[in-house]
Amino acid sequence: MSTLLRQHAEQLFAEELQELKKNDKDKCPPNWKLSPQAVVTYLLGGKLKNGFEVSPKYIGKKRLIEIAVATLTTDRGLLLYGLPGTAKSWVSEHLSAAISGDSTMIVQGTAGTSEESVRYGWNYARLLAEGPSEKALVETPVLKAMKDGKIVRIEELTRIGSDVQDALITILSEKSLPIPELNMEVQAIKGFNIIATANNRDKGVNELSGALKRRFNTVILPLPDDMDEEIDIVKRRVQSFEKIMELPAEPPAVAEIKRIVTIFRELRSGVTQDGKTKIKVPSGTLSTAEAISVVNSGMAMAAYFGDGSLRAADLAAGIIGAVVKDPVQDKIVWQEYLETVVKPRDEWKDIYRACRDLGV
Amino acid sequence: MSIHVLGIRHHGPGSARNVKTFLQQAKPDIILVEGPPEGDELLRWSAHSELKPPVAILAYRPDEPNRAVFYPFAEFSPEWQAIHLGAHNNVPVRFMDLPLSHKFALEQKEEKKEDNISNYTCTSNAAANAEVYRDPLRYLAEAAGFDDGERWWESMFEHRINNDGVFDAVHEAIQTLRTEIPEKDNLVEKLREAYMRKIIRQAEKDGYNNIAVICGAWHAPVLVNMPKQKEDTDLLKGLAKVKVETTWIPWTYNRLTFASGYGAGIQSPGWYDHVWHHPADDGTLWMAKIAKLFRSKDMDTSVAHVIEAVRLAESLTSLRGLSKIGLAELNEATLAVLCNGDDILLQLIREELIVSDKIGHVPYEVPKPPLLQDVEKTQKRLRLPAEAGIKELTLDLREALQLERSVFLHRLLLIEIVWAHPLNVRSKGTFKESWQLKWEPEFSISIIERGNWGNTLEEASANFASHQAKEASSLQVVCVLLEKVIPSDLPKAVESLITQINNLAAATNDVVQLLEALPSLVSISRYGNVRQTDETMMLSIVNSMIARVFVSIPTACVGIDEESASALTGHIYQLNESVSLLNQEAQRKEWYDTLHLICDHQHTAPLIAGYCTRILSDAKVYQGDMLAVKFNFALSRSGNVSESASWIEGFLKGSGTILIIDERLWSLVDQWVQHLSEEDFIALLPLMRRTFSQFSHAERRKIGEKAKKGGGEITVKVTETSLDNLDEARAMNALPVVAQLLGIQKKKNEIST
Repeated sequence: MSTLLRQHAEQLFAEELQELKKNDKDKCPPNWKLSPQAVVTYLLGGKLKNGFEVSPKYIGKKRLIEIAVATLTTDRGLLLYGLPGTAKSWVSEHLSAAISGDSTMIVQGTAGTSEESVRYGWNYARLLAEGPSEKALVETPVLKAMKDGKIVRIEELTRIGSDVQDALITILSEKSLPIPELNMEVQAIKGFNIIATANNRDKGVNELSGALKRRFNTVILPLPDDMDEEIDIVKRRVQSFEKIMELPAEPPAVAEIKRIVTIFRELRSGVTQDGKTKIKVPSGTLSTAEAISVVNSGMAMAAYFGDGSLRAADLAAGIIGAVVKDPVQDKIVWQEYLETVVKPRDEWKDIYRACRDLGV
Repeated sequence: MSIHVLGIRHHGPGSARNVKTFLQQAKPDIILVEGPPEGDELLRWSAHSELKPPVAILAYRPDEPNRAVFYPFAEFSPEWQAIHLGAHNNVPVRFMDLPLSHKFALEQKEEKKEDNISNYTCTSNAAANAEVYRDPLRYLAEAAGFDDGERWWESMFEHRINNDGVFDAVHEAIQTLRTEIPEKDNLVEKLREAYMRKIIRQAEKDGYNNIAVICGAWHAPVLVNMPKQKEDTDLLKGLAKVKVETTWIPWTYNRLTFASGYGAGIQSPGWYDHVWHHPADDGTLWMAKIAKLFRSKDMDTSVAHVIEAVRLAESLTSLRGLSKIGLAELNEATLAVLCNGDDILLQLIREELIVSDKIGHVPYEVPKPPLLQDVEKTQKRLRLPAEAGIKELTLDLREALQLERSVFLHRLLLIEIVWAHPLNVRSKGTFKESWQLKWEPEFSISIIERGNWGNTLEEASANFASHQAKEASSLQVVCVLLEKVIPSDLPKAVESLITQINNLAAATNDVVQLLEALPSLVSISRYGNVRQTDETMMLSIVNSMIARVFVSIPTACVGIDEESASALTGHIYQLNESVSLLNQEAQRKEWYDTLHLICDHQHTAPLIAGYCTRILSDAKVYQGDMLAVKFNFALSRSGNVSESASWIEGFLKGSGTILIIDERLWSLVDQWVQHLSEEDFIALLPLMRRTFSQFSHAERRKIGEKAKKGGGEITVKVTETSLDNLDEARAMNALPVVAQLLGIQKKKNEIST
């Protein structure tokens, strides 16, 4: 087992990628490791011709993944859009792992992301000593990806300031990056493309300019359609977490996951599962990703502090942490939910007690 | 001698093209089409230049017109292409489905049976079978790696360019399906197929040598491998029959999306229309249409967008291993490129392009039931054609044509054909009307249904309204009906309605019913309208109704609870308005006498008594000391406190502002309050609060301010303008405006002089 805390997708699923490659009969676009069809299979899972089972990475509509992959075969960028925690980064990581075999070309967008981290920067010591030369140039992931014909990922595109965002326009339309200081330019090799992610819930984001928007195809990743789909997602991700973290805890029962998913779905939609009772909605998104992390932290608690099997008490803190984002408003929401919905459910007594004990 | 059986999908553009090419090559001497044989007669219209699809054959039972079946045809329906080709090449065309006269009769029998036997015995079996038959093509689709039968068929047969041997392939596929899947245990299905074979044999017997048969793909195999003739004859023997009539009616694409007569609704008629007209389009034209649509809705869409969308659709198609771009790929590309992933805009595309609102046209000469013919003739005469989509129409009733249109629409409303929805008009007077028109194909059937009320719209609507009036038991229903009948210009119906109102008014014991009916009648009789309704007759009815009300209203005000008292107060307010509208001296006097009676009765509900006192005080019947006496009497402390409260509430009802402005009323209340002893005042305080709490906030504030000032007159500040330094030239400039404001219209030149 590797000593890395978290492996990249292409490391973790190296075997699957290899098998896919072996069985891939379809035509690959230039510089792609796999054919588009195989990429779709990698993301959605399925059985290969030789019987090898590929695990699903994204559980949801096939249509969306097909649009995403088809987009990357054209020369348009792909913009994954959606609420926080709807697997945008997850999908982009796996797409680039499958297509380029490398998911490490990544620019994290923040309010402070400067043009130097999108285009290129300078090694100033060298610049002063030797004057402008290619050696003094600091390549960004974008520049590297262009040179190697790989996919570059830009996380949280809308957090980046508008002026810096627009630096991408030339790259997307001309597929080249001029370096006027050296009187040269870098032209992208075939296979280069950009996957950007952005979320539509955050405040203080910078809307994309019309010119930039036009160069992206947009795919909106939705919240899971139904309860079973969501439970499935949480279960799979938690299992892979066990694998990575080597936790000794007993695998969580589906029932436990189901309870958490139920709580999250109910609070998210503002109505109980049976449709009878109205509930106030807390300010957070309560995404599937958060449900996954609640189960994961609960398992860690159970493994290190509990008796090894996942109990309500191990989950309580995580649930409250996920729900109560605003200490005043959300606390009222949570307490109301606890008293009116959780308390009357007989089989939920343990969760109720555990949450009450935490005193929030 | 050869029989070509062409298995198709109803409304499949690819099938239609295949049928067309095949028929052009094979040159059959007779064409048999799946459809009701009752419609054979109608086929002679198919070459008529004014019969434009989408149209439908409407088959109905004359005795029960609501039992009807539609057979819609679009331009891209294979059946339509076959019929059209036959008509233009003088090849006879016959329908060959089981006659509807049998089918209707069978349905009738079925219903009777169901009434008698409880039907739970066979449901489980039937349900299992239904599951298999819901979409039999699914099995083939799954085998080919598709997730739904429809899409498989589309990419396999409809989107093909090369069509050699396509009918053989269809035949073979269905043949396999039909042998693998257990036989459908459905009598009607068996009868239909037997009848189809019968017609084919008949055609052979009639000496035709080259027979083309166009039928749903599912039936194709059993029409090729014919069983013995005797089996079919036995099966078809002794079928019951009912009378069936057929006609052509216009149809819409929108309506094609619903499952119709033979359960063959399609999702995307607009797209099929596109595919039919532009078989070679690689998505470019479709995307250009979308771009045009978006631009017309003020959404920026560049050519680059279109290019990118087509490219994305292409790569999606190749990713999915399809040979031709389908609607699903185009939609997804549109979503990602043009709509920024937001599917609200797709809804627009759906409405305008994928379904698209196209309506067909049927020549006026086609024989139809008389009422339908009358309606269509009127539509033509008034230039109000049936159109798909929503259209708005504003009519000025002072013009003859427009008045006629309005009468026509009102009459249709009267027989419950809601083609036009009346809209509110934001202008005074009754000469303007606004309508929203939306034609639905099934209106034709409703019109035929109403045919039993008369052969012309005028006759039918009058009879229908009179009938409804006779059935009605409450006065209000008839009055509402009358409001609808008057604009329909049906004097005979008006007459019978008014008689009915009179009868009901005489018979009713419920004064509230009369009161509810009155306001609208009064306004009609007083103001009349542009329609020259006979007002004198109305007036006499209204007067007699009011007389009835006067007699019974005092007792109606006695011994009722607070809720009905408040409702009745509302009616009294309207009655008072009506009386002043009618402006008849004798009647008014009677009204005041009635009000006296109400006020003086000891047990009248205090709210009403208070309000009536107020009316009388407004009319200056009660004045000065007399009013004060009434006032103090009603509010004396010895009485029940809550009654006093209701009384004052009634007295001051809705008059917050009046209290501020009307000095007389103010001083009355003021004096009464001043004369109260302190104890009484404190006891009454909560009650007064209740009354005042109903006024608006601003009103209450003003009343408070006025009371603070110690009442008295509200002074309006008037500054005296000195006339010394008046600029006459400037003043002259203002005169035209002043004249206009005052309504003194002078001729221009007079002012200028």
